Amino acid sequence: MKGNIIKYERDNIDTDVIIPGQYLKVHDYAELATHAMEGLDPDFHSKVKEGDFILSGKNFGCGSSREHAPIALSHSGVKAVLALSFARIFYRNSVDGAFLLPIEIEEDAYNGISEGDEIDIDIGTNEIKNLTKNQTYKMKPFSEIIGKIIEAGGLFNYKP
Amino acid sequence: MGKTLFEKIWDAHVVVGKESGPSLIYIDRHLVHEVTSPQAFDGLRMNNRKVRRPDLTIATMDHNVPTTDRGLPILDQTSSIQIQTLEKNCQDFGIKLFDINSPNQGIVHVIGPQLGITLPGSTIVCGDSHTSTHGAFGALAFGIGTSEVEHVLASQTLWLEKPKPFEIRVEGKRKNPHAVTAKDIVLSIIKNIGTGGGTGTVIEYRGEGIEDLSMEQRMTVCNMSIEAGARAGLIAPDEKTYEYLRGRQYTPKNYESLVEYWQDNLKSDDDAKFEKQFTLHIDDIAPQVSWGTNPGMTCDVTETVPTPDEFSKGDSNQKKGAEKALDYMDLKPGTPIEEIKIDRVFIGSCTNARLEDLIEASKIIKRQKVSPEVRAMVVPGSQMVKKQAEEMGLDKIFINANFEWREAGCSMCLGMNPDILSPGERCASTSNRNFEGRQGTGGRTHLVSPVMAAAAAINGHFVDVRTMDLS
Repeated sequence: MKGNIIKYERDNIDTDVIIPGQYLKVHDYAELATHAMEGLDPDFHSKVKEGDFILSGKNFGCGSSREHAPIALSHSGVKAVLALSFARIFYRNSVDGAFLLPIEIEEDAYNGISEGDEIDIDIGTNEIKNLTKNQTYKMKPFSEIIGKIIEAGGLFNYKP
Repeated sequence: MGKTLFEKIWDAHVVVGKESGPSLIYIDRHLVHEVTSPQAFDGLRMNNRKVRRPDLTIATMDHNVPTTDRGLPILDQTSSIQIQTLEKNCQDFGIKLFDINSPNQGIVHVIGPQLGITLPGSTIVCGDSHTSTHGAFGALAFGIGTSEVEHVLASQTLWLEKPKPFEIRVEGKRKNPHAVTAKDIVLSIIKNIGTGGGTGTVIEYRGEGIEDLSMEQRMTVCNMSIEAGARAGLIAPDEKTYEYLRGRQYTPKNYESLVEYWQDNLKSDDDAKFEKQFTLHIDDIAPQVSWGTNPGMTCDVTETVPTPDEFSKGDSNQKKGAEKALDYMDLKPGTPIEEIKIDRVFIGSCTNARLEDLIEASKIIKRQKVSPEVRAMVVPGSQMVKKQAEEMGLDKIFINANFEWREAGCSMCLGMNPDILSPGERCASTSNRNFEGRQGTGGRTHLVSPVMAAAAAINGHFVDVRTMDLS
C-alpha cells in the first residue's frame, strides 16, 4: 500500500483535536471528514489527498472513545496512521470498522520519514519502504486478533 | 502463582480463549448513551439482529443534553435528533432508558453506581472512555468504540487481548484531606507516569491512601485512569464498597450472599505478580493545577509554570509539546500558578460532580461571592445528585454566591452542548481533559479539584486551598 506522508512531529495527538466534540452530532461521514484534524491543523482538509498516511509520535489517538476520530480521518482519504504508539481505543476503533491501518513504528521510521515522502507499507512482511529516500524500516507486527480483524475487513466479518 | 484482582475478574468472564491469544469476554453490564450508539443500532437493524440481553443494557442521555430548563424545547436541532434517536432505539430494542425527564437521568458514570447497577467483580462497558470510573467498585470497566458497542449489543461479548496488571500504590496520609483531594492524587500519578504510562495495562490502585478514600473519591481516581492511557483502573472492594451499594434501586435481591462471595474472592493474592509498579507518597502532596494541554502537564499550585526544558527532561517531542501547549495556553514559564487569572469555572463532569464534590466545594464559599471577573457554573453529575444537594441547601449556597446551578449532564467537560468556552477564555475546571479545544474552540482549561475550582471562582485566580479554613 503506497501513500504520501503528512507528518505531525508531536506526541499525544488526542481525539478532541482529530475531531472536536461539537461535531459528534454529525452523522454524515463526508461532512465529518471536512472537520478532521481541525483542532490541530485547520489546513488539513485542504491538503490531505486520497491514500495519504499520517505520521506522528507517541500515544496517538488518546482520549475519548469516539469512533468518529478514525471515521473522519478515513473519509478524508487517510489510509494509515504510523505512530510510535497508539491509545488503545483509537487503535481498536480503526480496525474494527476497517477505517484505516494503525501502524506501530520504531524511532528509525519516525525520524527517517519526512513530510511528503512516498511510503510503501507491506503488512505481509512488516516492512515500510521509503520510496523517496530509498530506506527500509520495520513495523511492529499486528497481534493475532488485530491481524485477523484487518484480514476479514472489520470486526463483524471476523470469524474465529 | 497467585492472581491479581484483574486476572480473577478476567478469567471468570472468558467465554473462549487461550492463555496467550485473544479471548471472547462476557460483558455483565452495557451502558449506552446518545452519542456513540446510533450507528451501532443502525448496524443491528441492517443485519436483522436483536439486542441479546436488553436486561443487561441500560441507557441514558448525558453528552449533549442542555443543562438549562428542561421544560423548554432543545434548540440545537442535531442534539435534539440524537436524543430522539436514542429514545426510538431504546423503544425498538426494549432497552431501559433514563430519558431527559427521568429523575434518574445523569452522566452515565454517575448514575451507574448510584442506582446499584455497577457491581464488584463484574465486567462493564460503555461507548465512553471514562467507563474506567466503575473500577472503583472492583469492576473491570472500560470504554469501547461504536463497532464494539454494536458487538456487545448483538452478542453480549467482546474479543479482547488481555492487558497487563499494573500496581499503583498510594502510601501515606494527606495532612489536610479537605484541601488535598482524590483529584490531586490522580493528577499527581499522571504527572509522574505520563499520559502513556498506563498503556496496555489495567491499573490496580492499592495502599493506605486509597483505602482511606470514600467511594466517591475512589471513583475520581479510577475515572482518570484513561488519562494515563490505561485500559481500566480498579480498586479491590471493601466494606465501604458493600455499604455504598446496599439497598440501592437496582442492587440485586441476593445482595448479602454476593457480598460474602466478593469478600472471599475479590482481592489480589499476596503472591500475585504485577508487570509494572509505581508508588506515590501522599503525606506532603499539594493541590494540583494543570498548566498545559494534556493531564500530564500538571504541577503543584505553589509552583511556577515550567519551561519546556524543565518539563521535557531531554525528550524532544515532549519539549515541542510543551512549547505548543504554553503557546496555546498563553502562559509564560516562571509565572506563579497562583497569579494565573481565570474567566470561567466549571464544577461538573463524571470526574467531580458527585454529592461530596459539591459539599466540599460549597465549604469554600462562606458567604463570599464569585469574583466579578468570573462566570462560574455548577453542573451536578445526575438529577439524583442535584436533588440531594438541594435537600441540603447547597443550591442556595452556590446561587447566593452567583454560581449558576444547572441540570445534570456532561456539559462543559466536552463542549457538545451550548456550555462552552469562548476562544481565549481561561477556565478552572473539575473535569478530566485539558486538550486543545476540548471545552470549546480556543478555550483554555486548567484541571483542578472542586475545592480548588470554587476557591478560584471566589478569588479570580488560583489559590492554595491549604491556606483556607475548610471546616
